[in-house]
Amino acid sequence: MTILKALLGAVAAVSLFSAPASAQTYPERTITVIVPFSAGGPTDTVTRLVAESMSKDLGQQVIVENVGGAGGTLGAGRVAQAEPDGYTLLLYHIGMATSATLYRNLAYDTLNAFEYVGLVTEVPMTIVARKDFEPNDLKGLIEYVKANKDTVTVANAGIGAASHLCGMMFMNAIGTQLTTVPYKGTGPAMTDLLGGQVDIMCDQTTNTTKQIQGGTIKAYAVTSPKRLKIFPDLPTASEAGLPGFEVGIWHGLYAPKGTPPEVTDRLSKSLQKALKDENVIARFAELGTEPSSEADATPAALKAKLESEIARWKPVIEAAGEYAD
Amino acid sequence: MDLVSNLALGFATAASPANLLFCLIGVLLGTLIGVLPGIGATATIAMLLPITFQLEPVSSLIMLAGIYYGAQYGGSTTAILINMPGESSSAVTAIDGYQMARNGRAGAALAIAALGSFFAGTVATFLVAIFAPPLTAIALEFGAAEYFSLMIVGLVSSVALAHGSIVKALAMVALGLLLGLVGTDIYTGTPRFTLGIREYADGLNFVGLAVGVFGIAEILRNLESEKTREVLMARVTDLMPSRDDFKRMLAPILRGTVIGSALGILPGGGAILAAFASYTVEKRISDRPQDFGRGAVAGVAGPESANNAGAQTSFIPLLTLGIPANPVMALMIGAMIIQGIVPGPNVAAEQPRLFWGIIASMWIGNLMLVVLNLPLIGLWVKLLKVPYFILFPIIMAFSSVGVYSVNANVYDLYAVAFFGLVGYLLLKLRCEPAPLLLGFVLGPLLEENLRRAMILSRGDPTTFFTRPISATLLAIAAVVLVVVFLPAVKAKREEVFVEED
Amino acid sequence: MKSISFDTTNALCGGLLTAVGLFFAWQSFGLELGTAFRMGPGYFPLVLSGVLTLLGVVILVQSARVHGEPMGPIAIRGMLFILPAPIFFGLTVRGLGFVPALFFTALIACFASHRMRPLWAVALSLALTVFSVLVFSYGLQLPYQRFGPWVRF
Repeated sequence: MTILKALLGAVAAVSLFSAPASAQTYPERTITVIVPFSAGGPTDTVTRLVAESMSKDLGQQVIVENVGGAGGTLGAGRVAQAEPDGYTLLLYHIGMATSATLYRNLAYDTLNAFEYVGLVTEVPMTIVARKDFEPNDLKGLIEYVKANKDTVTVANAGIGAASHLCGMMFMNAIGTQLTTVPYKGTGPAMTDLLGGQVDIMCDQTTNTTKQIQGGTIKAYAVTSPKRLKIFPDLPTASEAGLPGFEVGIWHGLYAPKGTPPEVTDRLSKSLQKALKDENVIARFAELGTEPSSEADATPAALKAKLESEIARWKPVIEAAGEYAD
Repeated sequence: MDLVSNLALGFATAASPANLLFCLIGVLLGTLIGVLPGIGATATIAMLLPITFQLEPVSSLIMLAGIYYGAQYGGSTTAILINMPGESSSAVTAIDGYQMARNGRAGAALAIAALGSFFAGTVATFLVAIFAPPLTAIALEFGAAEYFSLMIVGLVSSVALAHGSIVKALAMVALGLLLGLVGTDIYTGTPRFTLGIREYADGLNFVGLAVGVFGIAEILRNLESEKTREVLMARVTDLMPSRDDFKRMLAPILRGTVIGSALGILPGGGAILAAFASYTVEKRISDRPQDFGRGAVAGVAGPESANNAGAQTSFIPLLTLGIPANPVMALMIGAMIIQGIVPGPNVAAEQPRLFWGIIASMWIGNLMLVVLNLPLIGLWVKLLKVPYFILFPIIMAFSSVGVYSVNANVYDLYAVAFFGLVGYLLLKLRCEPAPLLLGFVLGPLLEENLRRAMILSRGDPTTFFTRPISATLLAIAAVVLVVVFLPAVKAKREEVFVEED
Repeated sequence: MKSISFDTTNALCGGLLTAVGLFFAWQSFGLELGTAFRMGPGYFPLVLSGVLTLLGVVILVQSARVHGEPMGPIAIRGMLFILPAPIFFGLTVRGLGFVPALFFTALIACFASHRMRPLWAVALSLALTVFSVLVFSYGLQLPYQRFGPWVRF
């Protein structure tokens, strides 16, 4: 017993020593941003671009660690349990909000496990189809799929993927259930769309821009509030016949619950600076997206976004009845 | 001619001193990290990827391609020397390559692998340069029904992987297929066979499984009779292949190149089958099938060539469509995007320097690999003289780091221990791990494509017969089946397997 | 067939595979099966586990007819020290950090061989740790903490 007590005492002492990272001198060592997806994906790309720029401002290296698995919830769970000292951060996309409903037994409480740093970017989506698909505009598409709802197939990159979410939202918006064809990742889904094996898909510009430009797939609309600079002729979904249909894959930067506000503020400032970095802006533009505004790259804006998005997706996911566990 | 000028542009780009240097560094790093036991191509590339982010786009991709080849060759080296494949393709190399090493012919096996890879790489590179666009069109014809039928061909042929009991080999395939299904069902999101462990939601890690059933099982086997065990490894007869070896590796290399090039184009896991398919073919047509599994030269030459040709042609969908054929290619796309190049159907037209530079560097990378590795064979073989009780703690430490580095998932490490035990058990029960591994990689693909084909055909199973490519593939599978069960062939095969039963 | 005798290896093998097949089948029944045309998550695994069970039974039956070589010695000591090594690494890499976790992992694995002297084991583990830290942590910049929160003061 005494040994056990001594051990417990030692553990307590250790945690006492390590807990309060002095906010004035932050950051004193390397910061790790956990990306809950594997290296090379869109979220990883966004993170690495921003991390590189933040390193310059913070005067400490900001490195990226990929902890993939279970739609990003494993990496988020890791950060939820990390020490709240500002040296372990999380960059997670819209999945932060949707996983709260998609997964019925998450290892963390989405709204109470994190502190907020700020929004990073919101990648728009495009509604696309195989290049020889009959309809030529969004109105025509909606009529066509309603008339042929038994034969039209909608591809997605697996449960919880951007294309899955957008597809659900689309079917919800037009009030028609179509046959969904899930794939393991965007690659195979896009291959089958190019090969004409499936009909339509709704996916991030990151994945569709080059294919649209190359004329290998047909684009009907973007799901952002404004038209995109790279596709000035492509209407928004609102303009083309689906008023209010807006879906964006937004990315946010989080810290574990209990991180001192001085630290998250410092990180917000740094994030805002990084989002004005010309290199970041240029690279984001090539991905078909823009950095979030200074007003959005704040803890308050991210918190509001997360709360409103959880509320928005909950009924859509529950109506579709598709869960990830 | 367009091709000549394009290739000239490519070589001018790739042969700039800086790019040559990056290619060399890539190949060297890839080989050195990949040769560490338990660290295969995927782990190596995941580790080395961030290094390339700092370079300018062309150099970065050239270096990455170099890392890819180097890592693959490094992986084959450990497969041959210590039975530690880090990749599904080198799992096939391990079957006969490791036996060759145990017979004291490790040097020859390594040389055969290097030469076969180089030849296959050269041919496949030119295929990529000449035929990329038309081949892409063929690849796009492959829908779910075609992939399913292709996997069936793979499964039917898998019997040839075994050199013991056929029933046991089939059981191993079935077990492998089931293990491959562990994880989240992509159609419904239901977790299957995960025993409630969320860390297995994305399935069991291939590297963990391979390191366990091959490498750790082999370590345990070596440990069971330490006192009496003769020191097999110290007896190294020849470093280079003999004249006879050259004669016997020529045809398998040619066939392996064809098989690998063809299957590598398919973005849905075709390349995975290449090495297995080549092994099957070689064993089927060999006049000495009894040598397979005991150190057959053709069993190393064919799969290694197929594997490398497939690795090369799997760049085709990436370069012409912007679509990754395998996880390594997905990493390449990530690297391109980081560099500000979003790959798509227009890469060749918009970035000819990059496109042809990569193709040219593929060949240069392969050349460097051979030049670098042939002299190194002596060194690798010397490593075998390190006493085993020193070698295996090293293997365990590096495997742990390698497996962990893929996804930072500690449950993958627990899986290594579990599959080490399973692998040892199977070894004791005289079951072979290679069919298990084939089943493991095919399992999810088979089910995924079967169910997708049924969805796309609206529940009409005739889709497999009415689509011409699918029907052809099923016919091939049927022919293979008939051949296996034809009395004459059966008699011959029983002769082969008689010592087991 | 002269008498009832078994090849123990194959009997064990068949029995185990049958058991594993039945386990997977039992698990599959807990999943939605669907129909052949609209397969649920349990359909394909159920078919496969049926096949595995069947093959296991065939091996079991065959074991009564033919004889193979005996199983040979079992590497008990090997299993006792080799298998826990990666588990230890997994349990401690985040807490202790990369350096101590790797050192002890190598040290544990060392003792699997009775030919390894304790001093040699420590020396080998140390060398291995230094090499790995130089290559992976400093050289390749893998994002693992060298010393984790359990040993940080």
